[in-house]
Amino acid sequence: MTLADSLSPSPRRHRPKRRSQWKGVLYIAPAMALVIVFFILPVLFTFWMSLHKWPLIGASSFIGLRNYVRMFSDTRFYSALGFTAYYTVIITIAIFALAFPLAIFVERQRRMVGVYRTAIFMPVVVGLASASLLWVWFGNVDSGFLNPLLAWLGLVDPKSNFFASFDSAFVVICVMVVWKVAGFTMIILLTGLQAIPTELGEAARIDGANRWKRFIYVTLPLMRKTMALSLILSVTGSILAFDQFYIMTAGGPQNKMITVVYYIFNQSFVSFNLGYGAAMSLVLLAILVLISIFQLWLLRVGEDRP
Amino acid sequence: MKISKLLAAASLVTFCFAAGAAQAETLQMWVRSGIGASFTKLVEAYNGSHDDKIQMTEVPFSELVQKYATAIAGGQAPDALSLDLIYNPAFAAADQLEDLTDWAKALPYFASLSPSHVKLGTFEDKIYGLPLSVETSVFAWNKDLYKKAGLDPDKAPTTWEEISANAAKIRAISDDTYGFYFSGGGCGGCMIFTFTPLTWGAGADILSEDGKTATIDTPQMRKAIGYYRDMVKAGVVPPGAASDTGTNFLSITNGKIGQQNLGAFAIGTLVTEHPDIHFGVSLIPSVDGKTSSFAGGDNFVITKGSPRAAIAKNFLEYAYSLEGQKVMAKYGSLPTRSDIAAEVLKDLDPRMQVGVDAIAVAKTPYTLQFNDLINSANGPWASFTNAAIFGDDVDGAFATAQEEMQGIIDNAQ
Repeated sequence: MTLADSLSPSPRRHRPKRRSQWKGVLYIAPAMALVIVFFILPVLFTFWMSLHKWPLIGASSFIGLRNYVRMFSDTRFYSALGFTAYYTVIITIAIFALAFPLAIFVERQRRMVGVYRTAIFMPVVVGLASASLLWVWFGNVDSGFLNPLLAWLGLVDPKSNFFASFDSAFVVICVMVVWKVAGFTMIILLTGLQAIPTELGEAARIDGANRWKRFIYVTLPLMRKTMALSLILSVTGSILAFDQFYIMTAGGPQNKMITVVYYIFNQSFVSFNLGYGAAMSLVLLAILVLISIFQLWLLRVGEDRP
Repeated sequence: MKISKLLAAASLVTFCFAAGAAQAETLQMWVRSGIGASFTKLVEAYNGSHDDKIQMTEVPFSELVQKYATAIAGGQAPDALSLDLIYNPAFAAADQLEDLTDWAKALPYFASLSPSHVKLGTFEDKIYGLPLSVETSVFAWNKDLYKKAGLDPDKAPTTWEEISANAAKIRAISDDTYGFYFSGGGCGGCMIFTFTPLTWGAGADILSEDGKTATIDTPQMRKAIGYYRDMVKAGVVPPGAASDTGTNFLSITNGKIGQQNLGAFAIGTLVTEHPDIHFGVSLIPSVDGKTSSFAGGDNFVITKGSPRAAIAKNFLEYAYSLEGQKVMAKYGSLPTRSDIAAEVLKDLDPRMQVGVDAIAVAKTPYTLQFNDLINSANGPWASFTNAAIFGDDVDGAFATAQEEMQGIIDNAQ
């Protein structure tokens, strides 16, 4: 029975309808209070700031929608959006391409499966900032080990600096993020896989479906909600990416790795335009909401049948 | 409830500790990283001889301004700050600093304090900042590596052709020795300090005199970029330089770097912490051979309304005393008082004198947009130095930098 079912009045109980509604409000009041104080009010305040020229120090002045108008002609904002989109697409595909096979691998009961699960999940508990610093050091051309390793395999020149060009720095960052995040996505997908009754697979096998067909027609459709959850988490996380680019490349060679959040940070706390930063934050929030709605629609979450 | 009582007791204790600490008069002071040990040693000396204490917090140089501004906005600002002097006008203009005019003018040696610092510390005829440290950029070379490369260890190179040729010879010594180093991974602060003297000495600048026009595309700048590009191409610069955002600025201390432009602070660091490295110091030659330097350093400012301004002033007077000046100079900060400069430097490493000599040919760029234009790791100057020296499209780098710098200047008007 879901929460919604238990809250809706059932005919068997003879309580007055109104009283149970008040009871419901009471139950969600703490959660609502948290959401109002820590989300609604800050968003309203951010909106108020976005209508001002709001320097970090000194007095602010009302400028109406000028911050929003400025965004339309701000090429650096567009390139930040472009890079964020590029990063989100690549990293989401990379994470799923690795996490799905891993989830299938650790789902079966096999020897040492606990060890595999733990080992793959381990990087998730490392903080993103620490992980970034760790990989900066791995990839350092003078003292790291990635360089000698890849050079020994004959893949790169031993004197090549990974963080000096966009492509190689981007690859290192993506590898780091996948290493860090894939375990988490794997665990979510694993719970989805384990929720599928084994009878369904067996029935399909009796009907003559091979392994690939069982995956496409039985497993995948039943994984829809789990995939929606991990997809939204992954996409949201990637769109809000900041730490790894700030720490590992400081915005990358010639600012080619400035994400939207990075740009908002720079505008707010380096150039001291808090008002403009606030306006961009709201636009980013709107973009995130739209993308999430689109993903839920795409995966038809909420409907009972495909 | 037991727990809540416990919590109340705990918070009361914490409060008492906090209040107690305030009564013991500890001054909170921030200082930027990368200025060597001079200030730390000064604080140690002061704390050792005074009842009041200074608690120093080191903040990464690239983040000090935004951290301080954020702290002011949040009401958590330190009592005093060692502020890069180029930022002094912006904070004074925003009315965030304590007015020091009367106190400063009453100092008997006020007239002999570094004039460029006092000038940048003055806003609308009131003094908000006073010199704390003076630093100039200089050229340094490793004498041991010069010897190994068959060069005369006591002869400073005077042109960039010479420096490049020496770099190649030093690179040839062994696989892990390099001829030249600079933090080229988008460290605007490092590059304005060590690289622009190449063009200043030859009469060019990256901004017009009034600071309203970006003038980055000059023949002198093209020539300077050319020298660095050629050295990178020749492989005499460590590959790590291309992504060094300033963390490894003092690479010469590892003993494998033949030549580098650095600051007087670094002379102090080398002398006191790396006595095994034998190095020479001279003025930075420009692309046409005339010398130049960047005169920078920090001003001492007090946050407006700080209840401990008296201690801060007391501390600054100590810094200006002969004893304080000597401690700072030993670790690389040049004297801020010209009346006792000779006495301060008397027993010190003679190489410090080169840093003092550099003041005569040095320049201090002044613009309210310094952070946006120059120092920010994502600003146009930082990107330009990386793109023009390491990138494939030099003309494009010049065009982009010119356009972005002008855009920032115009937006701020």
